[in-house]
Amino acid sequence: MSALDLPLREQAAGISSGEIDPGKLLDACLARIETRNPELNAVVATFPEESRRMLDEAPEGPLHAVPVLIKDEWALPWRAEQVGAASVPGVRLEPGESGPYRALRDAGAVIAAVANMHELGSSSTGNTSVYGAAHNPWDLERCPGGSSSGPGAAVAGGLVSGVVGADGLGSIRYPAAYCGLTGLKPTFGRSTMEGHHIANTETIVSGPLCRDAADSRLLASVLFGEELPAGRPSGLRIGVIREPYWSDCAPGVREASESALEALRGEVDGEVIEVGLPDEDLVLPAALLVAQAEEAAHLTPRNLNALSPKLGVINRGVLKLRALLPLSLTARAFRVRAKVRRDLAELFDRIDLLAWPTVPAVAPPLTDPMIELPSGPASADAGNARQGVIANLTGIPGVSVPVGLDAGMPVALQLLAGWGADALLLDAAEALERATDREFVELRPAALA
Amino acid sequence: MEAGAAFQSYLERALETYGIEADEAERAVMAGVWSIYEPGMDLLRDADLDEVEPELLPDLSAPPAR
Repeated sequence: MSALDLPLREQAAGISSGEIDPGKLLDACLARIETRNPELNAVVATFPEESRRMLDEAPEGPLHAVPVLIKDEWALPWRAEQVGAASVPGVRLEPGESGPYRALRDAGAVIAAVANMHELGSSSTGNTSVYGAAHNPWDLERCPGGSSSGPGAAVAGGLVSGVVGADGLGSIRYPAAYCGLTGLKPTFGRSTMEGHHIANTETIVSGPLCRDAADSRLLASVLFGEELPAGRPSGLRIGVIREPYWSDCAPGVREASESALEALRGEVDGEVIEVGLPDEDLVLPAALLVAQAEEAAHLTPRNLNALSPKLGVINRGVLKLRALLPLSLTARAFRVRAKVRRDLAELFDRIDLLAWPTVPAVAPPLTDPMIELPSGPASADAGNARQGVIANLTGIPGVSVPVGLDAGMPVALQLLAGWGADALLLDAAEALERATDREFVELRPAALA
Repeated sequence: MEAGAAFQSYLERALETYGIEADEAERAVMAGVWSIYEPGMDLLRDADLDEVEPELLPDLSAPPAR
């Protein structure tokens, strides 16, 4: 096995002890990108000279000399982010030191490449990008998830062991679920967001996509600028909202998630508590409107009439639709956010975690991202968003943990916790790994096995 | 007027009013996307939120003040 296949923490330890030559590790990473990326399209830019400079100048730190990737949502000093798009309406994107770049650099990491993403971060599928779609290593004809499509495909495809993504309406957790990875959406405001092109965002956070919870903890600690301590909690109270988060999932997803829930409960000597959330059906429309309001200032007729023809037709239509949404709906969305935050705060007085499947069905085909649910056929975006956006609307953290396979594709359980309980979430994810003998975090796509 | 037709009518007038150009493909996307999310938007429009206190200067990294 190549050192490149080791977890981030073991690469760092091997470099520290002298067992791993960091120069050879970076060369191996770049060589693997060259070999595997043509079919994955997970990587959209490499820059060996800059990567080697980062290696030469890498300070001692928790990721000293370890190669990682960064999503095309973050600027680097030598490259502006493109957000997977030909252009971003009303925004000039320029090279610079984004917060995640600085955090990685100061931790000693080496940015080996930039990872693909869904155009403008606007979908959970990853099937559209100015660079072409990224492909799911578990089945190259299927969606890798979005919008952090490249990060998901890169880690599952073995190009690196960790990538910094961003989660606006589930954009780390969906690709983690589709690609069999662990992805953390931090509590709003805890991870660095400096330099993001939506400076006024209240929904987007940077976060890690890795193979397991321990690596996610390591990379999240770098992005937080503080160490997230590991613990072994017991007696956890796990809240379950059946309708619609469990009931309207594909049978294979629901069964694997139920098994995982029971395994987690047993491992932490906890209890599963059936709970409800008033106005659950308002969460999705409210989240969509709050998120779109963050970019609405740029949606002027002048900018919309000047959209690049290279921008996908779906985004061109959606951007114009957003500009026409009634203000009263957006105002009501913020009122819903206030109510749901209060309701969640009361709920987290009684429970420690919420749990439901990260996505209601496994990754759909790239060419037709529709899924079949008990309620009928649905777009993957609609189904996924229903499961994921509550964390972005309210600011709470969430983690997606691989828990099985359905028809050969990864299934994932999402755990949510109260504000600031990011470390507890990762503790729970590690408990789930222990309970399943790490079976699902060790699984690899057949093509890579 | 049916919901779809009502949206189409609104769309045509709004695009013209604001001077936003949209080709047929973009208009089809707008109608398709709206059809997916319209039920939720209707719920939001009709929800009784009059008694909900707005959250002033919310700190989204923390629970709301109680």
